[in-house]
Amino acid sequence: MHETLSNLPLLSGLPAQVLVVLAMVSAGGIILGCIAVGGMFFIWSERKVAGYIQSRYGPMYVGGWHGVLQSLADGVKLLLKEDIWPEKADKPLWRMAPLLVFLGAFLSFVVLPFGPNFVGANLDIGLFYVMATSSLVVMGVISAGWGSNNKWALYGALRGAAQVISYEIPLGLALLPVVMSTGSLNLGTIIQAQAGWIHNWHLLNPLFFVSFWIYVISSLAEVNRVPFDLPETESELVSGYHTEYTGMKFAFFFLGEYADMFVVSAIGVTVFLGGWYSGIPALDVPALFPLIFILKSFFLVFVQIWLRWTLPRLRVDQLMYVCWKVFIPIALANLLLYGVIRTVLS
Amino acid sequence: MVKFVTDIWDTFSTVFKGMGITARYMRKKPVTQQFPEERWALPDRFRGFVHNDVPRCTSCTLCAKACPVDCIYIEMEGKGKDRRMTRFAIDYNKCIWCSLCTEPCPTNCITMSHDYDHSVYLREKLVYEFVGDPVIPFKPKKAAREEEAEA
Ligand code: SF4
Ligand code: SF4
Repeated sequence: MHETLSNLPLLSGLPAQVLVVLAMVSAGGIILGCIAVGGMFFIWSERKVAGYIQSRYGPMYVGGWHGVLQSLADGVKLLLKEDIWPEKADKPLWRMAPLLVFLGAFLSFVVLPFGPNFVGANLDIGLFYVMATSSLVVMGVISAGWGSNNKWALYGALRGAAQVISYEIPLGLALLPVVMSTGSLNLGTIIQAQAGWIHNWHLLNPLFFVSFWIYVISSLAEVNRVPFDLPETESELVSGYHTEYTGMKFAFFFLGEYADMFVVSAIGVTVFLGGWYSGIPALDVPALFPLIFILKSFFLVFVQIWLRWTLPRLRVDQLMYVCWKVFIPIALANLLLYGVIRTVLS
Repeated sequence: MVKFVTDIWDTFSTVFKGMGITARYMRKKPVTQQFPEERWALPDRFRGFVHNDVPRCTSCTLCAKACPVDCIYIEMEGKGKDRRMTRFAIDYNKCIWCSLCTEPCPTNCITMSHDYDHSVYLREKLVYEFVGDPVIPFKPKKAAREEEAEA
């Protein structure tokens, strides 16, 4: 990106280091804006979908058409709210937690490939990087729970830690066959392996079918969505690890959660659903790539929302059972099977 | 082992069934009524806020006497032809919406209206004054003629 900036007449005289910093800051700003706007859009659509599933409308007034600006109004409200903190809270941890949660989502956005040339940083270890940054979220969850000095928050944080750490294993194992087949962790390369007609998508390859389902379900657990939202069960833990947060700190948790939903959906789209390719070679013009990618990711986010308003949540032991006794054995067997088939075929 | 596989099958089939049900509801028209814009069609005999059509009120105070909670305040001054009604107020804090006041009214000017959304922030605001400047009470035609004949 800094090459592009150096071509602008206004900035051409500046040294390269300044341009790199400028490029980083502007890319960060763009991503931040996208997360804020996207997050608000997801919150609004979540409320609308919830409404329609329950035979009601959801927000209807703010912003004219069907309450589109409701989240903006809520954001302003949260900004203006008093920032209350528990007297005995562990201040540094407590302050850091929302930022860590948000940072986890923010850092993952850097590598999301919206198009061949439309990516913050085209890392060769993109997939690995996303897995690594998304575990930052769990650090945030734990420090929120510990720092709040509140029983419910601590229970929520412990559940969150147990859940996210367990589900990272099937998540990674589910992605591995695809990595084996493309021979790369670079998200762009993984997408390019799915070019052409729709049957090239990894989802429609029978060898990756199981991987896809394991990925989708574990990613739900990874971002604490229903039916795996045990860290924030309202009915038992008030609101889980962010019980004590108000105002803007709470807004960061919320925004981070929705940004995370988008990240896992985008990775799902990248790895299994053909990324920026539409599945019809005639439609694959570079100008449409970001649009196709975003639409597909939105669809997966929509499915997450849809599931949330369909399913009840699991019990803690069921959650652990599903992870350790179902997903991990199946994912391992799948990996082994794929390796054997691949060796035999080659 | 067989149970393991059938459990997985059950999970997926029931999840998809559930999603089908919610998808069906998503496509249905919501039952919500957008309240201030849309309202119920109220039944004819709905008892809303009591309303007095002052120009037809004879200020006979029959309604105030009928009211079981004495929440209709009528004040008058003057005698005979100079009689004026200076106050006709209903205190909706006390009103029990019993409709007993509407029955004795000789001119049927006090009625149960169809209004029901008169929320206010202060209790005092629920005492509705129907008369501003003193008004000459309404006289039904027959009574008016008798009075003229007397004069
Ligand atoms: S409805 Fe009943 S309580 Fe209310 S003013 Fe009439 S008589 Fe009184
Ligand atoms: S009964 Fe009717 S006419 Fe008589 S004072 Fe009441 S409202 Fe007026």
